[in-house]
Amino acid sequence: MNSIFSIGRKLFLPALVICFSAIEVNAQKGAAYEMTIEGVKVIVQPSNNEIIEIQTVIKGGVQNYPLDKQGIESLAMSALTECGTANDDKNSFKDKLDKVSASVYGNTGMDFATISMNCIKSDFDVVWPLYADAIAAPKFDEKEFNRIKQDAINSLKSQASQPDYAISKLAKQTAFKGKDYAKNPEGIEGTVSKLTAAETKAYYQSILTRSRLVIVVVGEIDKEDLTKKISRLLSGIAQGSPFKLKKELYTPAKNTFISEKSDLATNYIQGIASGPAPGAPDFNAFNLAMRIFYARHFLEVRSKNGLSYAPATWFDGGASPTANIFVSTTEPNKYIGVAKALIEKIKKEGFTEKELKDIKTSYITSFYYRQETNWAQASSFVTNEVLHDNWKRALTINEDLKNVSLQDLDRAFNQYITNLTWAYRGNPAKVNPQLYTTTKNTRTPLPKSKVSATKNN
Amino acid sequence: MYKIKLTGLLLTLALTSFAQPRLPKDYYFKKLANGLEVVVIENNKVPLATIEIAVKNGAYTEGPEYSGLSHLFEHMFFKANKDYPDQEKFIQRTEELGAIWNGTTGDERVNYYFTFDKDSLEAGLKFMNAAVRFPIYRNEDMAKERPVVDGEFQRGESDPQNQLWMATGKKIWGDLFTRKNPIGEHNIINTATPEKMMIIKNKYYVPNNSILVICGDVNHDAAFAMAENIYGDWPNSGFDPHQKYPIPEFKPLAAKDYFVKESSIAQTPNLMYIWQGPDFRNDSAATLAADVFSTALGLNSSKWQQALIDKGLATYAFVSYQTAKYVGPIYIYSLPNPLKLKECYEEIAKQVKMWADDDYITDEQLNTAKDILRRSKIRQTEKPSSLPSQLTYWWCSTSYEYGTDYVDNCMKVTKEDIKKYVKKYVLDKNYVAGLIINPEMNKSTGAANFFKPNF
Repeated sequence: MNSIFSIGRKLFLPALVICFSAIEVNAQKGAAYEMTIEGVKVIVQPSNNEIIEIQTVIKGGVQNYPLDKQGIESLAMSALTECGTANDDKNSFKDKLDKVSASVYGNTGMDFATISMNCIKSDFDVVWPLYADAIAAPKFDEKEFNRIKQDAINSLKSQASQPDYAISKLAKQTAFKGKDYAKNPEGIEGTVSKLTAAETKAYYQSILTRSRLVIVVVGEIDKEDLTKKISRLLSGIAQGSPFKLKKELYTPAKNTFISEKSDLATNYIQGIASGPAPGAPDFNAFNLAMRIFYARHFLEVRSKNGLSYAPATWFDGGASPTANIFVSTTEPNKYIGVAKALIEKIKKEGFTEKELKDIKTSYITSFYYRQETNWAQASSFVTNEVLHDNWKRALTINEDLKNVSLQDLDRAFNQYITNLTWAYRGNPAKVNPQLYTTTKNTRTPLPKSKVSATKNN
Repeated sequence: MYKIKLTGLLLTLALTSFAQPRLPKDYYFKKLANGLEVVVIENNKVPLATIEIAVKNGAYTEGPEYSGLSHLFEHMFFKANKDYPDQEKFIQRTEELGAIWNGTTGDERVNYYFTFDKDSLEAGLKFMNAAVRFPIYRNEDMAKERPVVDGEFQRGESDPQNQLWMATGKKIWGDLFTRKNPIGEHNIINTATPEKMMIIKNKYYVPNNSILVICGDVNHDAAFAMAENIYGDWPNSGFDPHQKYPIPEFKPLAAKDYFVKESSIAQTPNLMYIWQGPDFRNDSAATLAADVFSTALGLNSSKWQQALIDKGLATYAFVSYQTAKYVGPIYIYSLPNPLKLKECYEEIAKQVKMWADDDYITDEQLNTAKDILRRSKIRQTEKPSSLPSQLTYWWCSTSYEYGTDYVDNCMKVTKEDIKKYVKKYVLDKNYVAGLIINPEMNKSTGAANFFKPNF
């Protein structure tokens, strides 16, 4: 009681700010709040709609298992809803969910696993017991486990046939060789095929500790009822030893290029560079810089040079953060000339005040866009809590971004966009790797930027 | 004179009755004098506005000489216009508006949508107006965009599932495949000209073939006034493009057609079956039965799921129907367990043959499927920015009323309706079945030998 009061009191001042934000977000919606139940942080956002989304997070992701067990957490997450629970066999469990068109599913990524439920508010009392059983009392029935293991292998092969997935995997495995981020959360056929139901169950029990959990609720649920339900769920889960997610920067020492032959109609290329860790002072600045870089890259690669349908750049702000550049093109040598010239130009001339102003405006739209669905809101709370240790950042981000200056943007881009780890899939005869690795000037000259500080119309 | 007056009266009555289509609560309709239909959806969940223009255009309007050009046109929409003469300026304007934007080209619809702060509504409508009415097509812009669209095509070719879709499509639609293939043909895309773009524009990009939807934290009276002010002088073309350029009817398939396609990039086999299903024009009741049936087969308890998924013959096996005005396709799409490929192929045949049996779906399953569709309506209304696209899909391929009454009418579907649908469009019809597989697996499983018509 005391501790809840204390958290509530600590929250009071920021809550005023949040409250203000919340009113801005949606006049009818209540402000978000947090509780601590059985030692687990529970974040609640009333939604004023008919849908309930709950995400229970187990922190750790690829840090939780060794390379030769990659895939174990993903298979465990599938097993929670596909291999029966203490009260229902697989068919009974799934049929009950079908009856109310609700979903309960688990998945895992690089930094955390999520067990989610989504249902219509009036069905909450039917779905909650199934959800709680999936988390706290999964059966890991052996016959069902073998079925989902074969499905996982089929899916791995199917995914590997998708060129976007395959290039991302090759780039990550190259960049992070020997490190946690080289692991594929879904595993590889060699590791997944060896996993047993008993081993996977034991693994799941080892990571299901209150010390690793965070729960996010977006929906209109009576606070007392919710507290009772979560308390009952957590009372059967061990506290476990304290857990802290490791954050590790990726800093390639030089440009590298790896190629994999594949019989594709075009060539897929991904480059990975460094980026700031979640919570670092330049995180927001780099995030904005990469969004402007996306627009400039799109303009140069697609609009002006017609080199690709799908040029992209993005900042992956996970526990091992990276900046990423992606393209599919039939002219890889011409592409790298354009990309290098663009990077050089930004480093020399910097971004503009107008670009910074516009990207902040775009961020406001994205912010409200996320507020449209309970799922997107819950996911945003989860990411901010697990990676930034600050769920409130999901609501204050627009205010936070106001403090980012043009100098911050230029400094961050110059600091992190240096060496790149390039991966290539397609026709090796079409590409000159040296163009990707050399530091000599091989750039295609770009005209001076037309982007100006004044409005064009 | 009298006749003219009477015709005029009937026309007025027709317009009056059409002036109030049945729409969901908080949807407001107005048809401008130039024929542009405007729907405003008031939804103040977040302080954003989404605008969408959809045009009855897409693959179905394309003969072989235009295959893929509705899609190229959609790309050119974002290139240059009288207010924003190059793509750099166009993109800059989207950034100033803070817009989230995109466009899509499908079989029977091309749509363009922008989401931004609610206070930017008028500026956004003006921006959309410049792009849709006053595009500029330059040879040099076309030359740059052709390889971009071709690149999208090549990405599809690099995906085995897409390869399979193309191969089955060519067989089921025959000579009219271009009318179901929005991505189009390489050579047509690569030889497209500004003149061809103008032909598309003049035929289809006219107010009497378009709909404007404004959704979000907006007031319908103010939004209508803006729409009238900005789009009111868009001239009516004076003809209905779908009467002047009628869509040819698809021919029924002459025989069952099975094929095995080898692809080195297919690391695991994929299976697809396709039938020519019902359409809104000729059998709208069957389109509803199709959706209820597909939903029932998605239930874990269904005979379909139990036979294929529960028994480990496939990782997934979806049955779906795509609502269309001109022959909607019915699909089975499956990722079979490669170790049980032949069993999966045999089981699919066994199941399909039972689809019209009295007990194939239980009453309970039928009711659960309906409940799922009822709840899906709640989920579909969760995201305000997605509402315009839902509405324009109905508008292009069905009608306002079809969309508005969709769930209520699905609730009325009976087992007899489903049996009738299955018999009429599946059991008594020819179809195409395709398997994409890599050469090694084809050899080891003997797929080429056993993958033959078996129902």
